[in-house]
Amino acid sequence: MTDRITRRGLVKGGTMLAGAAAGFGTIYGPWKHNRAYAQEGKPIKIGLTCDASGMYGASGRDELRGITMCIDEFNANGGVLGRKIEWITADTETNPATASRVAERFITREDCSILIGAIHSGVANAITQVAEKYGTIYLNSNSSAPTEAGENCSRVKFVWDGNGTNFTMSSVKAAVERVGKKWLLLTNDYVWGHETSDATRKLVEEAGGEIIDNLLIPQNTRDFTSYLLNIQQMAPEVVAPAVGGDDGKILRAQVAELGLDKQAAWVQSQQDWPDVWAAPDSIIGIFGTNWYHKLKLPGVDDFVKRWQARADADAIPVPGNVSYCGYMAMRETLRAIERVGTTNNIAIIKELEQLKIPAADRMQDYDAWMNPDTHHLQQTIYLARRNPNPVDDTDLYEIISASKPEDVVDPEEGKLCKLAPYEQIPTVDG
Amino acid sequence: MQTPAHAGRLITPAMVGVALVLLTVPLWIAKVGLYQYIGVEILIWAIYALGFNLLLGTAGLPSFGHGAFFGIGAYAFGLTQFHVAANLWVCLLGGILAASLAGALVAGFVARRRGIYFAFLTIAFGQVFWFIAMKARNVTGGEDGLLPIARLPADFGIVSFDLTGNTALYFFVLALFLVTVVALWRLTYSPFGRVLSAIRQSELRAAHLGYQVVLFKMLAFIASAAFAGLAGSLFAMAQGGAFPEVMALHYSGYIVMMVLVGGGLVSFWGPVIGVVVFLLARDLLGAVTLTWMLWFGLLFVAVILFKPEGIAGVFQDLRRRFSRQPAQAQPAARSTP
Amino acid sequence: MFTLIPFLINGLTLGLLFALIALGFMLIVGVMEQINLAHGSLFALGAYVAYALLGPPLPLPVGVGEWWAGLPLGLRYVLALVIAPCIVGLLGILIEQGMRRTYGKDPLFGLLLTFGAAMVIEDVIRSVWGTRDYILPTPDAISGGFIALNLIWSTYRFFAAFAAAVFILLTWLLIERTRFGAVIKAGAHDSEMVRALGYDLAKLRIAVFAIGTMLAAAAGVIMAPIWGIRPHMGVDAVIPAFLIIVLGGVGSFWGAVIAGLMVGMVIGLTAAYASEWSLLSMYILLIVVVTFRSRGLFGKKSILEA
Repeated sequence: MTDRITRRGLVKGGTMLAGAAAGFGTIYGPWKHNRAYAQEGKPIKIGLTCDASGMYGASGRDELRGITMCIDEFNANGGVLGRKIEWITADTETNPATASRVAERFITREDCSILIGAIHSGVANAITQVAEKYGTIYLNSNSSAPTEAGENCSRVKFVWDGNGTNFTMSSVKAAVERVGKKWLLLTNDYVWGHETSDATRKLVEEAGGEIIDNLLIPQNTRDFTSYLLNIQQMAPEVVAPAVGGDDGKILRAQVAELGLDKQAAWVQSQQDWPDVWAAPDSIIGIFGTNWYHKLKLPGVDDFVKRWQARADADAIPVPGNVSYCGYMAMRETLRAIERVGTTNNIAIIKELEQLKIPAADRMQDYDAWMNPDTHHLQQTIYLARRNPNPVDDTDLYEIISASKPEDVVDPEEGKLCKLAPYEQIPTVDG
Repeated sequence: MQTPAHAGRLITPAMVGVALVLLTVPLWIAKVGLYQYIGVEILIWAIYALGFNLLLGTAGLPSFGHGAFFGIGAYAFGLTQFHVAANLWVCLLGGILAASLAGALVAGFVARRRGIYFAFLTIAFGQVFWFIAMKARNVTGGEDGLLPIARLPADFGIVSFDLTGNTALYFFVLALFLVTVVALWRLTYSPFGRVLSAIRQSELRAAHLGYQVVLFKMLAFIASAAFAGLAGSLFAMAQGGAFPEVMALHYSGYIVMMVLVGGGLVSFWGPVIGVVVFLLARDLLGAVTLTWMLWFGLLFVAVILFKPEGIAGVFQDLRRRFSRQPAQAQPAARSTP
Repeated sequence: MFTLIPFLINGLTLGLLFALIALGFMLIVGVMEQINLAHGSLFALGAYVAYALLGPPLPLPVGVGEWWAGLPLGLRYVLALVIAPCIVGLLGILIEQGMRRTYGKDPLFGLLLTFGAAMVIEDVIRSVWGTRDYILPTPDAISGGFIALNLIWSTYRFFAAFAAAVFILLTWLLIERTRFGAVIKAGAHDSEMVRALGYDLAKLRIAVFAIGTMLAAAAGVIMAPIWGIRPHMGVDAVIPAFLIIVLGGVGSFWGAVIAGLMVGMVIGLTAAYASEWSLLSMYILLIVVVTFRSRGLFGKKSILEA
């Protein structure tokens, strides 16, 4: 790698656009690089880059519900800074190539000053590339790859979900001590899967456990029988799968059907509510989440009722972690705008970097805070398992523990993340 | 494809007209509710589609795995930038060469096949390349893509143009698009192109006339892979990354759809029309409905059922109806030498 | 102790299932020389209709939904296996009506028409059922697992493989052992002759297409509990179906069955040694076979080559 162009260089190059365009005569786009349309009463526009199809189509829809609910609530109270909030969405198709185009459209054509939404880390990366070029703030609401706030972090991006490392840290130590030392990893073959598995391996070894094997699973695997046969023959005590989306759903269904969850303990890093809801009988082992609709905390019941009141016919009956993350990311950002009294991107970024959310306001057990060096929200991580005594149809989880954010801080994140200085970020004022 | 007027010229009046219209696009594209990036993307896909039509429209070879070459071009552009030299010309060359080599490899297997078997094999190869792109994480970045690919400056020695802005990139892609148009026009209506047309009409007859059919098919395949590689390189630059999705079967199907809807079978410009319609429909319908594919799919079905010659075919009919000359009086479609 | 036997058995069942998925596709290709790319979407639609019949009660008038939901799951499952293909078969007839405009033209047009139809069906599914996943409930008798050779095996998988074998046999009987089969085969080779003998070729084609799409739907119902029900499950079905037909050779019934088994075996065995590459193995198998045998294993000359 002799001459690799750095992202910094790219951003710097971006500011020289005006000079370059002059080389082509007077032809110049409708937007200036330092865009400013702040006018009294003009709506603030937000682009919702949510998947409606592809592997994370269902989760993307759920995320959209949380985000739009938040926007509706702000608008009902007079918007932000006295301005109405408008939103627009288009299907990012769980496809990075589509996401780039949608992000370009939202920023340059729709004049969106903030982008929000992504489940898949590839989609989140593609949107970040575009957002960084224009200085547009991007809220990664639900992609939990550790790289998101690690080597792929960005000054314009904020990460709102717990990451794979947070979730595994809360569960691995307990499992090595209580269940067994012979571990097997099942890894979905893309970055999120590998990172999650690498983190698990480290933690297991630190806790005195042993990894007997790591089986790689291609994305879009429909039939796990051969893997399950492998697992039976190796007879591990604990199996830790990092298999997401549709693949994960099918895997859990097949494990549950075969009763393999009784042969070994299955430790999972994180379950997204839309995935779980689709197949409640396939909830296996113990797993992480950052929110549950039956947490016994103030505000939760009210949140659920408000959410249900505006849910569409296609929606899951209750909000889950994906909807919650979308809602919270949007709410905290809009509140930050209200606090700083401007839509200037640098001002908002600086405000979000200082973000502290009291537990009661966050509807979690402990206070949450934004790590200013990685832009990753540090928050309570819950461990859950299938509820043996549900009070109703939706009561699928039994929450068995709540880890404090400081106990599950990802140690790698801070080392890998280098945020660009503020001066290198083009200013945006929407 | 009928032989049009001006077939023998290097530059035709139609080309000049298209070039003039495209040159003004950045002036008005925002005023009609679009944005500069979509212009860049349309031109890139138009290069891809024109190159693809050399294979589908001229030689009659339906490849359903061409996304592979587009994707290989994108990855090669990025990898050349990271590991060889961050120079635009070197990177573009890298993208074109890599796609041509992959095209030559596949052509070696498929050139002896015809019809549906040809289509089948190209699907299989397309899937193999796509699978490798997803699996070889160390090289391609797997599902997360190869990032970050820079928009390198176009350095002409004396002057150097920065391409980081979408407008500047548009003009650069436009220049390459025009080069592609001229090159493919010459190729299509050259003796080489006429042999390809003869192969489309009857491979057996072309062989009996003494042409080395397999060699011609291979060359057509490699040429169209090279243009796909060029388009892929530009796409990587436009997006700032290379991703495996454009290599998937869906995307390989889309390029066939674009070329046919536009009328690639009857017109040189058909693929360009198809790309414009497809990408604008996708962008405009996609903004108002999440089921835009339903409507585009219905349009596509209607075209296949009622007007397989596509949109260009409709134009030709209209022109024929309004022109004094009946169709027969025009230069006859004599593609066989 | 690592042993290959489970992987071989897994490959065998997988192969039968692949052959089942390819069956309807093969019938239409073999008899009518038409490529039905909507095969995968019709497969998916079959699974969705079955879910509508077996999942939560439908909002039907005057208690019909409740009455239906009150029936035992086993009975409903068997009925769904009949009703879903019939409904999808009707759609198949509709597609054939459009497709007939392309007869006599380049077979590419039929292929493209059905590609468009596939896109439309997939998006209709998405707008009716949404993007979320569903799991098809199965009767207790055929779900769960059993222990043999110290390993747990999925009961449903064996049931599905058995059902696949039954469907393969029935299709074979229909083509080779009935008068109807004899006529449609003759129609494929010499339509003039069939017409001269007083058969209505248009009706025959409708029948073949309907049966082909019904087989696609039946395969969808059977595969649904194994693969899960999602809008884009059709792509997972149509690509292997395609591949198996080419591998086996267009027009060869047993070629397709053998190719299905081969693909299943190759995937099963590569999974034992290099799991992550197992899906790639089938494409490589195809390329190798077709390189040496241009018409696949047992293919005959066909107009599709022109």
